[in-house]
Amino acid sequence: MTIPSSTPLLALKGISKQYGHVQALSGVDFQINRNEIVGLLGDNGAGKSTLVRIMSGVEFPDSGQVFRDGQPATIKSRKDSEKLGIETIYQDSALVGSASIMRNFFAGRELTKGLGILDTHKMNAIVMDILVNMVRISGINSPDILVEALSGGQRQAVAIARAVYFKTAMLLLDEPTSALSVRETAKLLEHLAELKREGVSAVFITHNLYHAYESCDRFTILSRGQVIGSLAKAETSVRELNDLIVKY
Amino acid sequence: MRQPIVNICLFFFVLQVICIVASLLYPNDFRYVSETNIGLLLRAIPVLGIISLGVGVLMITGEYDLSVGSVYTLAGYSIALLFGMGLPVWLAVIATLAIAIAIGVTNGLITVKFAIPSFIATMGAMLVVRGVVRWLSEGRTVSFKPDETFSGLLTGAFYGIEAPFIWFIGLALLTGLLVHKSKLGNHFYLVGGHEKTAIAVGINSHRVKVIAFALASLAAAIAGILSITRVGTATPAQGIGLELKAIAVCVIGGLFLSGGRGTVLGIVVGACLMYMVEDVLLLLRAPGFYLDVFVGAILVVAVILNTWLTRKAGK
Repeated sequence: MTIPSSTPLLALKGISKQYGHVQALSGVDFQINRNEIVGLLGDNGAGKSTLVRIMSGVEFPDSGQVFRDGQPATIKSRKDSEKLGIETIYQDSALVGSASIMRNFFAGRELTKGLGILDTHKMNAIVMDILVNMVRISGINSPDILVEALSGGQRQAVAIARAVYFKTAMLLLDEPTSALSVRETAKLLEHLAELKREGVSAVFITHNLYHAYESCDRFTILSRGQVIGSLAKAETSVRELNDLIVKY
Repeated sequence: MRQPIVNICLFFFVLQVICIVASLLYPNDFRYVSETNIGLLLRAIPVLGIISLGVGVLMITGEYDLSVGSVYTLAGYSIALLFGMGLPVWLAVIATLAIAIAIGVTNGLITVKFAIPSFIATMGAMLVVRGVVRWLSEGRTVSFKPDETFSGLLTGAFYGIEAPFIWFIGLALLTGLLVHKSKLGNHFYLVGGHEKTAIAVGINSHRVKVIAFALASLAAAIAGILSITRVGTATPAQGIGLELKAIAVCVIGGLFLSGGRGTVLGIVVGACLMYMVEDVLLLLRAPGFYLDVFVGAILVVAVILNTWLTRKAGK
């Protein structure tokens, strides 16, 4: 069965989530198309993070439906979201600092020689190949370097390299630039463009409208748990996006 | 991850050289290199060493077990009483290890399901298990006299090396394989390093931690069986304080209380170092309180050094 390219990779319909008395999301529609970078924008408390947690299987919505390539799907756990090709890079916890690059790269998806014994040799070779040839991170010459010794930008690059290697279809980046220097941010935006060329779609969750405007194809704006706008880059400007967020 | 271990191995090596040279220079006053002394060391190290292996694995996942000293004593009573009831010795061993695993799993489940500090959960277990020992023993010592084959296997000597030490090294190699070379081992480090991230990549952190608690308890029981087989008796108050000693061994060996770091080699060297210091002080006929002072000082200095080295490496 071929799927028409106009069918969204992932579509969420009427998603609601309540925490106690707080309505975090109410009736949210959201979609990720093929070969697209979506900017998920909104002020603090707008529900961006809740939506990301629902898509990555960490939270389960109270109501609403999920479709992958037009087929109904359920995301109840991290394993489910992985199966659907969704990978999340959290701002503060994409990688474990006290573990090496290789051990982070294959975290939870280790290659083994059977009986649960790690195939360290093979994993090291893969990591180095990806880091050197694909993501081109400067200054990394060994897969045994601890992640805590890397800069913020290098860490993001390792997390992105991991997503590329594991053929992730959709990458959710939760505030990826918040802890990065200007130079590292530029590098990250470059990586995002590269990802798109590799056929990976992405959701870029950010406060920074300039970063979003530069790298995204489409914008979905949340306010108090509701979608208040979904605009293509061609039909909007940074000023308009800013006004939308501030007014609501 | 490697920095503290290089440090501790170097210190251990230098101390060895000093002791051997001193012993050769003053063979009558400092009998370090003598058959009696080496035999003594090789018999003394394994009990605490094996307990530390279990405690260390658990510490890598970021948790502690204060109940290992009590489980160690319970294991002695369990095997002696079951054997005394007429059970074949191997069945008594299996039953004892199963009891220990059950205690470990309970500790783990209580810690993760109620999301309480393992320090508290296992302090409770420490008291409960010690109480059970007192109840079982009625305050009396118990003796255990298994057949020659069994005791030979656990406490004899092979090619002049004490069997307990061989067991210790064998278990250390197994632990090393598990921790450093296996998928589960990688999960121990990731869960201990940053649990939230481990969960985000799909690792079942609760399961990983419960397994580590079970291993800590299992190791304590193995040490308890080894100890009662060697000595022949157990008393209800033995093993008190072993839990803290085991944590000290792990910390000297370069593990972090916060989890996610450390090596099995570090635990082994830490255990050897602890007894070497004790041994040297005894050989020098130092009064008993010197021992506590030395171990305490080494503990704090080791942690300061390890923290400093790790911070430097992380920069």
